Amino acid sequence: MAQPLLKIENLRTYFYAHSKQAFVRSVDGVSLEVGQRETVGVVGESGSGKSITAMSVMGLISGGPGVIGGSIHYASDKVQKNLLEGLENYVQLEEGNGRVLTVKKDESGWQKASEKLMAGMRGKEIAMIFQNPRASLNPYITVGEQITEAVRLHSGISAVKEARERAIHWLERVKIDSPRLRYNSYPSGMSGGMCQRAMIAMALSSEPSLLIADEPTTGLDATIQSKIVDLLQELKNETGISTLLISHDISVITRLSDRVAVLYGGAVVEYGPASQLLDAQAGFKHPYTAALLASVPNQQKIRARANLQAIEGEVPDTINTPPGCRFYARCNQITPEIRDKCAAIHPELKDVAPGHQVRCWRFIN
Amino acid sequence: MRRSTRVKKYIQTSGEVSDFSKLPLHKKFSIPDLLYVGYGLLIVFLVLVSYVLGAFNLLPNDPQQINMDMLMAPPGTGGHLLGTDFMGRDIQSRLILGIQAYFLPGLLAIFISLSIGIVLGVLAGYRGGYAETVITYFTNLVDSFPRLVLILLVIAAFKPDIYYIMMVMGITGVPAVANAIAGKIRVLAQKNFIEAAIALGLRTRVIILKHILWYNCRALLIIQATLGMGEAILLETSLSYLGFGVQEPTPSWGNMVQSGANYFMQGNFWPSTAPALAILFTILGFNLLGDGLNNMLEGKRSR
Repeated sequence: MAQPLLKIENLRTYFYAHSKQAFVRSVDGVSLEVGQRETVGVVGESGSGKSITAMSVMGLISGGPGVIGGSIHYASDKVQKNLLEGLENYVQLEEGNGRVLTVKKDESGWQKASEKLMAGMRGKEIAMIFQNPRASLNPYITVGEQITEAVRLHSGISAVKEARERAIHWLERVKIDSPRLRYNSYPSGMSGGMCQRAMIAMALSSEPSLLIADEPTTGLDATIQSKIVDLLQELKNETGISTLLISHDISVITRLSDRVAVLYGGAVVEYGPASQLLDAQAGFKHPYTAALLASVPNQQKIRARANLQAIEGEVPDTINTPPGCRFYARCNQITPEIRDKCAAIHPELKDVAPGHQVRCWRFIN
Repeated sequence: MRRSTRVKKYIQTSGEVSDFSKLPLHKKFSIPDLLYVGYGLLIVFLVLVSYVLGAFNLLPNDPQQINMDMLMAPPGTGGHLLGTDFMGRDIQSRLILGIQAYFLPGLLAIFISLSIGIVLGVLAGYRGGYAETVITYFTNLVDSFPRLVLILLVIAAFKPDIYYIMMVMGITGVPAVANAIAGKIRVLAQKNFIEAAIALGLRTRVIILKHILWYNCRALLIIQATLGMGEAILLETSLSYLGFGVQEPTPSWGNMVQSGANYFMQGNFWPSTAPALAILFTILGFNLLGDGLNNMLEGKRSR
């Protein structure tokens, strides 16, 4: 198999919560792969570490201590490198009793080294679109000028006129009506969906290899959401761009993803092909994924007038992690044989089918 | 046939409707704002003209010539449009020359407070952390010191020179600018377009200079500058009244009011009233200019 475009290994991003005087492990050992021309969906509840994973890849984490370890291997036709190369040297960690006690991080040294590694990556190789598109555009600059700025920055086109034509071309490609007129619109004069289209145009104008879409449909109307998803699907087919799609909306993930990773409590609990993982009937499934799928309304459930299942309990506290499985307290599939193991040992990701991994004791012998 | 003059174009494709507006935030300039700004610009123009006239000595009369035959001449007598003061000097010429005391020193004060204020504000707002703490302490320290006391200290240590006064004024104006810029950046950081700009690969320098300062803070800076000019005039006036401002025989509006005030009760109201009105209308002009520009550039936006 070809080398994956993006390979995140054991990524850890911690934050210090002043109110609790403790370290929150937002992302705690996430490993993911995004292959060439592949869309990987990342699902999970709020606070499961989805967005923080994306921001860590982009090097956008600010505030201490932030990213503290792991590796992010990036390999496109033009660039091959580890985005966290040698950064471990700036961090010292002390753990004990399920808590992170101290993190010593040379913040300025880390930032400098990180900026060096990220140079030429942001926007050029990895582009990102955000939730709440209108806030992601500068309110005082016309949409067209903002795209032109991106084009001139990354596409090697320095002539303003040519860059402008390219920007209009991209406005057209994301299906914004009358792009020449729209060029002079300010973000406040456009709808949320339009702004998101403009953001997509800006992100793709530099023809990056990887697009990180951080909840691209959140905050939009349902019909517009659907259209943005269609657009992303189409652009993916046209340009063959790899996408890391982050969403809590399973229907969006279902429509776009080739592979899906389910995040829970800052770690991947299930990772596999979208067709297997999102099929509620399919066999091997992490209890959390099963519960997530059960909580999504679908036709059969509506016809049968069945109640939607909620997942009992709360999002896990990542300050004091219990020694066992993080889903232990909310799990409804614990059998007497494995109960002791569930409570005591954190399970590893284990292959249950080719390319399908689950982190659950039920599938480990 | 009557045709509607206001045509709002709606174009509908892919189900998303929005209107075309050339202006960023549906701004329609209101008539009061236009009047404010128009009046303010008129004052700015008059100040500039007076400055040039004074600088090239193109005055109707010699402002320093003492005429013992015409003490306290009322306005309009003997070629003196605004009359003469207690030493028989032409008030009109002295008024025009008086702007020299404010123009360059005022600009110096504005320059000091804006340049240092912008640097500190960007450091505090954009960098945050340790820099923010230190800068907050510094601005609070400067703010907690009474400005007049500071100026009197400097005057006592050096000499009552308008440039020293304006330098102190510039430095004491730093906290206001720094806090305004830092606060603005904090608000901007909550909307994530700065983050999006970083993700786009823009250099920090471009983000700060172009996206933050030029596009999002320019209104604020213009307003700070116009308010600063009005404040400079007001400060010199109060100091002159205490006798610490511009020293005779160099005219300034402050010391003209002060010297004329002694004769006010005797019925000779014009030597102090003329500069007092000049101060009133000029400061009003600068403040209205700032206010109008604020409303035009910043306020009344639909978010």
